[in-house]
Amino acid sequence: MNLFIPRPFLELPGPPFRTIIKGSMAHYSSQTDDELLLRLRNGDEQAFASLYQRRQASLYRFALHMSGSPSVAEDITQEVFLALLRAECGYDRERGTLSGYLFGIARKLVLRNLERGRADVPLESDTDEMAPRELAVIDDPLAGLARHEAIEALRRAVQALPRRYREVVVLCDLEELDYADAAVALGCPIGTVRSRMHRARALLLEKLNQDRKPRLAVDTWKPVRYAI
Amino acid sequence: MNCHEFWDRFPRRGHDISREQQAHLAECATCAAQWAPHRALAAGLDSLREEWRGVEAPPRVEAGLLAAFRAQSGYQARRSPGPSKWKPALAWAMAAAATIVFALVLIDGHPPAPARPGTVATPRFTVQPPVEVAAGQEADPDDESAVLGEGFVRLPNAPGIGPNDDYNVVRMELPGSAMIDAGISLSDDRAAGTVLADVALGADGMPRAVRLVTDSGTN
Repeated sequence: MNLFIPRPFLELPGPPFRTIIKGSMAHYSSQTDDELLLRLRNGDEQAFASLYQRRQASLYRFALHMSGSPSVAEDITQEVFLALLRAECGYDRERGTLSGYLFGIARKLVLRNLERGRADVPLESDTDEMAPRELAVIDDPLAGLARHEAIEALRRAVQALPRRYREVVVLCDLEELDYADAAVALGCPIGTVRSRMHRARALLLEKLNQDRKPRLAVDTWKPVRYAI
Repeated sequence: MNCHEFWDRFPRRGHDISREQQAHLAECATCAAQWAPHRALAAGLDSLREEWRGVEAPPRVEAGLLAAFRAQSGYQARRSPGPSKWKPALAWAMAAAATIVFALVLIDGHPPAPARPGTVATPRFTVQPPVEVAAGQEADPDDESAVLGEGFVRLPNAPGIGPNDDYNVVRMELPGSAMIDAGISLSDDRAAGTVLADVALGADGMPRAVRLVTDSGTN
């Protein structure tokens, strides 16, 4: 079914993208993903922009963690949203959330990329674009360095996990998907997600303990929140 | 709760353990000892997540997608109703945009006003290594070959593309007459029809240079 309404083709290339988007972004930010999807299928550009803004970062990070390459992550993020634009994109909200569906597309693209062997470039050798921004002011440079090294060691350990365990750690631990959404994205039962998560954490601990150095020990991390 | 039940209900995160699980840890030293590294690992993963919180796709991805969205909206409107066979590709959107602007540039004789700094839509660019012009060699001001590759000719009144500028090259069909207006010679029969051309778009999405694509490659 063609859900798109007529719009003047000659809007391209037009003024800068941000300036032609009219209306209240706050209005769109209060809408669910499914509502935004319906709107964008009716040609609402702001709905598309809002949905993109809401979901792009986590999809990009997922692809970056999985592929290790900013350029691959960029391509995958782009492809995920282009897939969403297709009328026959295949999303069915009865089967799960849009977020889980989008991660599922991203995952398939990552797998395709890994199979082609294009993502063998280690993160360190890629551009500075992937370097996370420094968010905290570090009072003690040595403590900050130790913390940074510990986080970097953990990132490398995640990167070194077998793919099936890496994806579940990235989805559930780093991108905070719940198990149901992760199951949709991975195309497996929730129980499988749970068991893979268990195994993934065991492998991570094993890997970190193998690489153990006095300052990089896993027990240098202090839990940020304790159980109530 | 016994040990088996504790591990069977493996907490999603290290600090997400229930009161029941916490009570089990208080009474089972073995599980408590095994759980401690998991809790530390969860804290580390929290830190890693926070460290990467600001990482997101570059702005050019959004710009390209919005261009594709607009192109598809317009294209869908021009199609007769029925199942869509169109595969929305970013290159297609860029090509459509470039064709229109290319024609406008040639008709008006001057490029459209540049977008305001800071809000420009930067398309994804194809990285090609810059080529240095040999010292002492007089460079043709309209020849964009040094940066873009062989055969590119700068469009009338369009600014050039510097070695450090972002750009994108899209291949498209253009009227032969447009190529002649751009200063590229064509035979009469080709001038009357359409020809295949590579158009270089600047970071603002505006066409800057063009080259003819022949059957054997580029001009």
